[in-house]
Amino acid sequence: MRDDSTQSLREYVEIRYLRPAECRFERGRGGFLSLELDTGEKYERVNLHRAFPLSDCDSYISVRDSESKEIGIIESLREFDEATRRLITEELDRRYFAPVITSIRSIEEEFGYSYWDVMTNAGPRRFTVRRGHGSLLQIGDARVLVVDVDGNRFEIEDYTKLQSRHSRLVESLL
Amino acid sequence: MKLIYDLPEPLAQEVECRLAGEPILFCVPSDVSLDGRFVAGFVVLSRTRLVVTDEVNVVRDMSIASGSEYRATSLVHNGVLEARVDGEPTILARYSVSHAARYALIAKALSQLAEGQEPRVFSTPEDDTCPRCGRSYPEGSTVCPACLNKLAVLKRLFEIARPYWPLLALAVVLLWAITGIHLVVPVIYRVLIDGYLKPGRHEPKTILLLVTAIGALNLCAAGISVVRNRLMVTTGGRLARDLRAMVFGKIQMLSLAYLDRRKTGDLMNRVSGDTERVQHFIESQSTMAVNQALVLIGVAVILFMSDWRLAFLVIFPTPIVLAAVRLMQEWIRLVFRRQWRLHDAVNSLLQDILSGIRIVKAFGQEDREVARFRKASRQLATVTAGNEKTWNTLFPAMGFILGLGNFLVLYYGGGLVLREEMQVGELFQFSQYAGMLYGPLRWMSFIPRWFAEAMTSAERVFEVVDEEPDIKDREHPVHHRIAGRVTFEDVTFGYRSHEPVLENVSLEVEPGEMIGIVGHSGAGKSTLINLVMRLYDVDEGRILIDGIDIRDISQKDLRSQIGVVLQETFLFSGTVLENIRYAKPEASVDDVIRAAKIANAHDFIMRFTDGYDTLVGERGQRLSGGERQRIAIARALLHDPRILILDEATSSVDTETEQQIQEALARLVKNRTTFAIAHRLSTLRNADRIMVIDKGRLAELGTHESLLKARGIYYNLVMKQRQTSRLRAVEG
Repeated sequence: MRDDSTQSLREYVEIRYLRPAECRFERGRGGFLSLELDTGEKYERVNLHRAFPLSDCDSYISVRDSESKEIGIIESLREFDEATRRLITEELDRRYFAPVITSIRSIEEEFGYSYWDVMTNAGPRRFTVRRGHGSLLQIGDARVLVVDVDGNRFEIEDYTKLQSRHSRLVESLL
Repeated sequence: MKLIYDLPEPLAQEVECRLAGEPILFCVPSDVSLDGRFVAGFVVLSRTRLVVTDEVNVVRDMSIASGSEYRATSLVHNGVLEARVDGEPTILARYSVSHAARYALIAKALSQLAEGQEPRVFSTPEDDTCPRCGRSYPEGSTVCPACLNKLAVLKRLFEIARPYWPLLALAVVLLWAITGIHLVVPVIYRVLIDGYLKPGRHEPKTILLLVTAIGALNLCAAGISVVRNRLMVTTGGRLARDLRAMVFGKIQMLSLAYLDRRKTGDLMNRVSGDTERVQHFIESQSTMAVNQALVLIGVAVILFMSDWRLAFLVIFPTPIVLAAVRLMQEWIRLVFRRQWRLHDAVNSLLQDILSGIRIVKAFGQEDREVARFRKASRQLATVTAGNEKTWNTLFPAMGFILGLGNFLVLYYGGGLVLREEMQVGELFQFSQYAGMLYGPLRWMSFIPRWFAEAMTSAERVFEVVDEEPDIKDREHPVHHRIAGRVTFEDVTFGYRSHEPVLENVSLEVEPGEMIGIVGHSGAGKSTLINLVMRLYDVDEGRILIDGIDIRDISQKDLRSQIGVVLQETFLFSGTVLENIRYAKPEASVDDVIRAAKIANAHDFIMRFTDGYDTLVGERGQRLSGGERQRIAIARALLHDPRILILDEATSSVDTETEQQIQEALARLVKNRTTFAIAHRLSTLRNADRIMVIDKGRLAELGTHESLLKARGIYYNLVMKQRQTSRLRAVEG
């Protein structure tokens, strides 16, 4: 039964998977990633989009041209050699910016806002979080995204591992 | 938006060097480094140079002219400033979302500078953080709760309550009376116990008298309390009503621009929530506060005068007790918030599953949904049970702690009585007064927060009341009977003045002419009609109606002579009759039916069980898109406006309904100056002329045939439409 349905899906559309053998990624002088394919297609600048930015960072990465049309999909980064993997990961890191909070210096609450002073894997940062809906998103059992008043996001890998006062606060904001 | 930041010292010098004396035009933070770390870097623009720095060094220094295609690109939770430099697409700087809007402007300025133009981008002071303390303003408000001059607000509030002062004063006096009685009763007890409840004394009459006195006084106090409460409720209610009317009335008068900036929920809160809080404050909290303060002072004095040693014993543990109580309350707040959220989550889940029950069943996922619900439910149960358990332990414990004072008094006081240094009656009186101490103390600890909250609410109410509507009538507005000639003279407008949505639009429309408006989404079509309706005022240029500037005409006259049939047909909660009559409540039923017939709505209305009395809107009958459109057309017909605004609905309806709507529309637009944002070819073919708006400018203007011949934007749009409608025609 399952095979049948997958079969009929395959009839309609074929996903173009980009395999290491057929493509070459390079970083241009300006800092953007370029792609050249075996077929001769050349793209001065490609944008990479993760299909599963929250649940699976290294698989199913859509490679798109500058008009946002999909060129193909990288099924898994592991297929590629070390150097290319690094190039692609760097490019992805540029697009997706969600620093992970490594430690909390202080959180103060006042008048419907909480003022956070934290250390992240991208350096220290201070930000303001609104009390109410949408400020803290739970994406896993203890994985939380904190969204500040401007829209910046910060990830807490496991909020239960924080100081009890802070983890209680996080819980109350969820 | 602030676009000129100060550079810290060592950087400032370095940058000045690089700019070779040119003044800094813009300087914005670049707070993310190219390799993804938080840095305190900057992007600095002078007239000819662009300098990017991190905390200490200059990372890039280039001439603006050497780059082209400057753009601020939004990525995921950050952004990059990019350009084509020496032929290559290049990343110039990176920033967090906090500065995304700034870089959009910077990129614009760069494009303008690169072409040698004067940048039309301006730096304005920040408007979402308080200039005094730097805290973010609460959403939609410009009231900083920390810096608010609460006393000023209080004064203003009491000014507003002026008509109610006598009543409020009376309420306070009554409260004092009640308190007075409560303070006197222990004395009577003492007299009773010490004077007459001793073995050997036998004066039943006096005892009875005294007991009756106590009973009578308590009854009195209760009675006065009832009267006072009634009084407060009435006064408070009237005051709140005044406030609500003020706010709501003002909201109605304010321009669409102001209302757009606020969320509906926020405004609703101000009309109901904030006024309620203010009402509560005036009604109970303020008068109680004064009273409790007096009681506290009075009781303390009495206690110390009776026996300073015992008094000290009573006062001594109070701060500790209060602290313990406060901590407990904080804890309760935290855990119950969690419980409440879980409860909320379970409810949402339930609602989700039940509303989607058709899908659940269609895909056979019942078991999975049951499991999901069970899991959430169990979580809630666990947390609730835990909370209840702890509460049931702590509450009695708290009671005990509060009673500690009494215990001390009894022990030491008892000793005093036994040593005959004090009478039993005195001790009893003392412990009664001691009991009166905790109430006011606890009350007083809440006052600061309540006061702050109430004043903030009051200020939010005043914020709306004080707002000047930015679309106002002139001193002496013209009253004009519109003939229908509409002229756009070089009109430029943007919802945010530095981002024009319409630029240099000029157009003259004859009375009775129908102008079709087409263009890609976001091109500016809806904005154009918003301007004709004078929901916004133009930034540059003029709009004239029959030669008179639209701003000179009284808004009331204008609105009464302009009618709309919009995409979103909004029907108020009411009957069909009420909705059709909305613009003209005094219209006769005869006219309403006529309008409905012309709009091809009469037949389907009559097919409803309740006919024209059918309730529609939020809580009423659900109408289909086509039905709503036709009721809207009937509404507009009844209104009989001189200028008609039509924003065609794109929703697909069946062919027969489509025909009906088309017919109704054709009748509606006859002899009326009409601006129609059209999607259907049929509507466009009826138009006298068609204007094409592209990226905010008037790109093409002419008749249907002439534009087709020109093979421009209009031609392409029509060709695409023809293809899709051919497909649709086949599918029926």
